[in-house]
Amino acid sequence: MPRWLRYSIVAGIAALVVVLMLAFRYDPRDIRTGTVGKSAAQFTAEKLDGTGQLSLSDYAGKIVVLNFWASWCPPCKVENPALIRVWERYRTSDVVLIGIVFNDSTDKAREYVRTNGVTWPTVQDGDGRIAFAYGVHQPPETYFIGRDGIIAGRHIGEITEQVLVNGIEQLRAQAAR
Amino acid sequence: MNLSFADIGAGALRAALPLAIWGIGAAAYAAAKRDGRALASARWAALITFLLVALAALAMVGALVTHDFSIVYVARNNALETPLFFTVISLWAALEGSILLWTTILAGATAYVAWRGTLALPRLATTALAVLFAMCAFFLVLVTTPAADPFIRGEIVPPNGNGPNPLLQNHPLMALHPPLLYLGYVLFSVPFAYAIASLILGEGGDRWLVATRRYALVSWGLLGVGIVAGSWWSYAVLGWGGYWAWDPVENAAIMPWLVATAYLHSVMVEEKRRLLRSWNLSLVIATFALTILGTFLTRSGIVNSVHAFSLSAIGPLLLGYLVAIVVLSVGLLLWRMPMLRDSGSVGAPLSREAVFLFQNVVFVAATLTVLLGTLYPLIAEALGGAQLSIGRPYFDRVEVPLALALLFLMGIGPQLPWHGASRATLERQFTAPIVAAAGGALLAVATELGGAFAVLTYALAAFVAATVVQEFARGVRARRALHGESAGTAFANLLRRNGRRYGGYVVHLGIVLVAVAVATSQSKTIEAEQTVTRGQTFEVAGYTVAFNGLRDVAEPQRDLIVADLTITRGGSEQQLHPAILFFPNATQAVGSPGIAAGPGDDVYTILAAYDTAAHSWATIRVLVIPLVSWLWLGGAVVGLGAVIAALPQPKRREVAHPLIEAPATVGD
Amino acid sequence: MTRERALILVALFAILGAVAWSVRPNEVTAEGRVDRITSELRCVTCQGLSVKDSLAPSARQMRDIVAQRVAEGRTDEEIRAEFRASYGDWVFLSPSATSWAGLMWLVPLVAFAAGLAVALARIRSAAPSVAAPPAHEVAALRERVAREEALDLPQTDGAE
Repeated sequence: MPRWLRYSIVAGIAALVVVLMLAFRYDPRDIRTGTVGKSAAQFTAEKLDGTGQLSLSDYAGKIVVLNFWASWCPPCKVENPALIRVWERYRTSDVVLIGIVFNDSTDKAREYVRTNGVTWPTVQDGDGRIAFAYGVHQPPETYFIGRDGIIAGRHIGEITEQVLVNGIEQLRAQAAR
Repeated sequence: MNLSFADIGAGALRAALPLAIWGIGAAAYAAAKRDGRALASARWAALITFLLVALAALAMVGALVTHDFSIVYVARNNALETPLFFTVISLWAALEGSILLWTTILAGATAYVAWRGTLALPRLATTALAVLFAMCAFFLVLVTTPAADPFIRGEIVPPNGNGPNPLLQNHPLMALHPPLLYLGYVLFSVPFAYAIASLILGEGGDRWLVATRRYALVSWGLLGVGIVAGSWWSYAVLGWGGYWAWDPVENAAIMPWLVATAYLHSVMVEEKRRLLRSWNLSLVIATFALTILGTFLTRSGIVNSVHAFSLSAIGPLLLGYLVAIVVLSVGLLLWRMPMLRDSGSVGAPLSREAVFLFQNVVFVAATLTVLLGTLYPLIAEALGGAQLSIGRPYFDRVEVPLALALLFLMGIGPQLPWHGASRATLERQFTAPIVAAAGGALLAVATELGGAFAVLTYALAAFVAATVVQEFARGVRARRALHGESAGTAFANLLRRNGRRYGGYVVHLGIVLVAVAVATSQSKTIEAEQTVTRGQTFEVAGYTVAFNGLRDVAEPQRDLIVADLTITRGGSEQQLHPAILFFPNATQAVGSPGIAAGPGDDVYTILAAYDTAAHSWATIRVLVIPLVSWLWLGGAVVGLGAVIAALPQPKRREVAHPLIEAPATVGD
Repeated sequence: MTRERALILVALFAILGAVAWSVRPNEVTAEGRVDRITSELRCVTCQGLSVKDSLAPSARQMRDIVAQRVAEGRTDEEIRAEFRASYGDWVFLSPSATSWAGLMWLVPLVAFAAGLAVALARIRSAAPSVAAPPAHEVAALRERVAREEALDLPQTDGAE
């Protein structure tokens, strides 16, 4: 075997090992999406409580937190109390929390709202266009939209009160400057 | 003293570990000093290690069957409602159990080499035994530490377990697929251990290769059949209508198999012409390293796949093991390289050895492509943070030309003599196969098989089939001429007495069946989806699908919603029942296809969606997949060919001749 | 020209013709376009399946989006751009030929070519050959070898 080939094989194996070691730093479930940093997509959807429609543009100039959830999603149930507390804290301010149903029937979603005490506006995304526009992979996912309408951040998986409050406060501080 | 299964199992494993470590030393000492007592000690250590590990495996099965939920593994992978069959096979349903199974097989192989292998080639086998003990020790460390300890107790004992992953309790194939795969993976440790032993001892010859030829063939065959079984499982259980998605776990299994196939062929070149010594050593090392790499990829959690095992500390340990193996073996190989010079060279480009060389090139290129394709997303993220995917569209496009090249080489290789052939010989030999290839191509056109690759596959498949038939005909004719046997007896004797060669031809025929199945099913599958109410019918590719309604079924471990379908074509009628399965502890339902399999078409039905409220409508997706059954048949034929090739040859009657001495015994 | 050579030539022409026939352009239906595009998109809730193969609700919804865009007359590139805007390059199942990752398409070719070069070099580096025996002797020897290989005459096997 020619020497150059021998050494390049050894180098290749060494490179492979280094890459595999580096790969441990990343969580394979942590997949980024394409919409962070871009303008949040406008949408209009039916509210779950049957009181008509809701549009993102209704809340222009406010800080919007979008939470994608489903009744078949266990982490959504786990994060729900955190959402309730955060909503109680911010509902009278310039912050809005909107829940968006992901791939679920309206009946099951309503049942979930009732049993879990969801108090913020929730809408049905029947054809999945809103989830698509935001680049949602799986529920639960939470998007933070600043007053300027740009998606400032995205949280994958169940969210904690701490992360919610940090995100909201960051956006408030930003806009105040 | 009240001994539970967990106590027995954990105790047995912890007793086996120091034995394995002792075995390394005993075997190494026995080889170095040619010490018979040390060898005996190593032999007993091997046997007892195996018995202890097997006991631990049985203890786990016992714990599963008695639903001992105090053990975390049992609580996670078993439930009171799980049927007995799936309870037993959940020994390998998850990470810890599968590592335990691996360790059991490895310990078994070590014991076998200790008692049988050391009889034939004492020094080489004993050194190999030391290597095998080292491997056993590593895996025993895995199963006695939190990395993969299956007998870890939980803090609370739940009243009921989670049950196995829903996908793993749908199909009896789960009994077959993992054990076959693990047997294939683990048995390759033996040729590797012998190769390392040969390098350590500085033997420049082929004895390690000849001694482990059968191990390599058997493990290749088991791995190949295991891969096809997994493919069948994917088809019958996952419900997407396909059988191979280039998922990382699938790739992890096929890479060692590809390199092992290259190895099996280039071994013949070394035996016949004493060439390619260092190459063969590299191939064995590469095959074994790929089995460990595959295990690492699927268990470390760095890659998402259908088989996602849970994250644990096993990742870094397996990576360390892989690095140690690669560094050691490559180091040994480079050190001994001067001793491994070939005597002579390949010579003629139109010879069997040259074809085997080209075939090796194609297999290695195919393996490298799969390896890089599987790892590229990892590499891209590790180096630049970019996240991208490489999936079926890439692999399909890139591997098909290589597969066609392999088909071509498969046809010409066996027909070319060693050392080379003349033009005239070639023309005479290949006329019939090339005409057959034309027939295959025309058949493809006549059956409206779309795409150049599919047409070429048919042509090459016919080509290979014709060469195999030609070879069998030649062999039968020669036997009849010289022994006066009937055609049938001659054929049987070819397989019995020349099993390696003719078994190999049977394997090639199996591959031809697989190639035709893949080409046909990929290019001529017809799909249709329709939302129907009870009593409605729709047509797909000549089949009439009638929807008879939905019904609920409750089973102890799962609930089902089943669609009743009647498929008719011509006069025949079949009932199919695609379903959606709900398991109590799984968030998402699992689809279960209804398949009408046949030698021609498979009718594959899926319940895609349904009216949850009133059960009045259902969306049924139907795929008519031609010739996919030939894939499973082809896999079986490949297995059969491997068996024929691996069977020991019947003893020839020794004719005593006064002037010829008895053959010398194989000493050391 | 011998009979064999003639047959071989005819057969090769037939194969070429069949291949040429199979690559004639088919008319592309809307359904075909949707299938083709969705087979290159990754289902975001699955483990690596394409949108076309997956039965997940999110995949079916994505298929509807693609079908709608195709019906609206969008080009493949526009549809891909829309998916990229939402999900990034991760949602494509094969690297685009024009990016750095596109070099992956060359991997099999380079690996094959490099291997072929090494193999051919090995074959060429033949030891100087002894004068070859006359052709009829070689032919007779070959026949004998072929016959013996087909029978069970002793072959040089090592110890098992």
